[in-house]
Amino acid sequence: MRVRFAPCLVIAAAAMLPLLLDPRGYWIRVLTITLLFAAMAQAWNIVGGLANQISLGHAAFFGIGAYTSTVLLVKFGISPWLGMLAGGALGGLAALVIAIPTMRLQGHYFALATLAFGEVMRVIANVWTSLTGGPGGLSVPFAPPSFAAYSFKLLRPHAYIALVALIVATSIFKAIRRGAMGYRLRAIRQNTAAAEVIGIDTTRVKLEAAVISGALTAMLGTLYAQVAVFFDPDTVFGIASISIRIALIAIIGGIGTAAGPVIGAFFIIPLEEIMNSLLSSRAAGLSQLVFGVVLIAVILWQPRGFVTLFSAWRARLSHGRAP
Amino acid sequence: MSLLQAIIDGILVGGVYAVISIGLTLVYGVMGIVNFAQAEFLTIGMFVAWFAWAFLGLDPVIAAPLSFAVAFAIGWVVQGQLIARVLNAPSVAQIFLTVGILIVIENGSLLLFGSQFRSVTTSYQTSSVSLGPLFVSVPYLIAFMMSLVCGIALWWFMRASWFGRAMRATAQNPAAARLMGIDAELMYRIAFALGVGLTAFGGAVILPYVTVFPGVGSQFVVLMFTVVVLGGLGSVAGAVAGGIAVGIIQSMSSLFFPIQLQNLVLFIVFILVLAIRPQGLIGASR
Repeated sequence: MRVRFAPCLVIAAAAMLPLLLDPRGYWIRVLTITLLFAAMAQAWNIVGGLANQISLGHAAFFGIGAYTSTVLLVKFGISPWLGMLAGGALGGLAALVIAIPTMRLQGHYFALATLAFGEVMRVIANVWTSLTGGPGGLSVPFAPPSFAAYSFKLLRPHAYIALVALIVATSIFKAIRRGAMGYRLRAIRQNTAAAEVIGIDTTRVKLEAAVISGALTAMLGTLYAQVAVFFDPDTVFGIASISIRIALIAIIGGIGTAAGPVIGAFFIIPLEEIMNSLLSSRAAGLSQLVFGVVLIAVILWQPRGFVTLFSAWRARLSHGRAP
Repeated sequence: MSLLQAIIDGILVGGVYAVISIGLTLVYGVMGIVNFAQAEFLTIGMFVAWFAWAFLGLDPVIAAPLSFAVAFAIGWVVQGQLIARVLNAPSVAQIFLTVGILIVIENGSLLLFGSQFRSVTTSYQTSSVSLGPLFVSVPYLIAFMMSLVCGIALWWFMRASWFGRAMRATAQNPAAARLMGIDAELMYRIAFALGVGLTAFGGAVILPYVTVFPGVGSQFVVLMFTVVVLGGLGSVAGAVAGGIAVGIIQSMSSLFFPIQLQNLVLFIVFILVLAIRPQGLIGASR
């Protein structure tokens, strides 16, 4: 197999970054969140990019992951690592439950159904106070720092765990895209009826993709909970804060590509953080307003994502002329 | 008897839901775009009516045409400058363009008006008329009557006026409509502006019993989608039936469930309808 130069360079650079940033500082937190969101967008990309089913409800799985591990830790003292596996299983199960009725839907209809599913989970988390603590939120209890307890004094280990998570998510995405499942998903995207005619069990392939995507997103929810330490239903099940942001990162970077979610996350999350620190003190809502304007501009100007810019540069470099 | 009361309340509230949601279904019916920002025009309508009440002393019901006009103008620009560019783009671009518009309007109103809750006081706010053992809330009744007038006007416009017929022709077949000399782009603009105008109108008439703040639109998003999906996305008559159905579902569920779970009932109805009959339960034709 050919070793690609660019991905190795990116990974090496990303591995160096946590060492350069102040371990108690603000930017290492931004980096960790960026890596986590890149990984989540990659998980979203499995269903959104390959099968072109635009989910606006991935916060459902994310929140399930965050709550499962934290509730297990608070009530039974179970290590978040095991909680992450339990969250992944529940997230996969939830993906199955929602995929069975909605899988036949396409385009806007699928987006609407998943949007409502995310809201169902948010309402349940708000109402089921005995389990989740309700709107008051949930804190991850302090544990003496150790790897087994997933508790660290500084943020540096969190950044590395997030980096590993991103590499794993990207590898899974690439493996699926390269393998038989990827071909089947793309066949479904182009023409579901034709895919069925040539013998693809479209139902099964869509369910498999949904479960993998949901389980991965839930596991990343656990990692987020460990970094955030405190969260409430409106944060982890939020439409704008999670569902739309995950999809947006993949779309702005380049939907259906392995590099897209990474490019998108490293554009969106730091941009949001910079805008928040620059603008929020002046006026509430200004940073989000700018965010919306950027989104509209990107959709109108580069609807297939920034990744097309990179491939245009590469074509120019290799051919020595404009593509 | 509380059951009958719930049905009456549901019909009154649902009539307004119908007017709020007609715009969503109109835009989808004419150009195949689901406007995720539709509920933000409800916020705009409510703010216009609130300012008309606070500074001009106008009753929200009187100010409703003003709300309609402001939203119509904004919709005219939004359609011409933004939505028109993605009419033939993949659905991803369409979804996220309107999501972007949603974010801009919600945070723009937060920036302009702040996050505080605002409400109006009217003379009829808490009054009700008794109908035998039943009570009919006056603000609900007025909002319902206004919605009825608005609905009849729209029905006349779509059925009898040249613009309405041209718009329906464009929805059926844009290419053929162009051959008949219809300016399809103009029809799209009218449809979108009219759609968001109606939503804003609905926002004004509910102001006597709903508080306005920048996030109020997002509370209506799933409700509006449930209305149009129940009636069949693209069907105006379906949206009317869907609106009343949602109003009744909501007031009936308040008899059995705590307030937080009312929305849950709605969401589950929504997902089930999408799963079982995505073309809508009521009225299959556009």
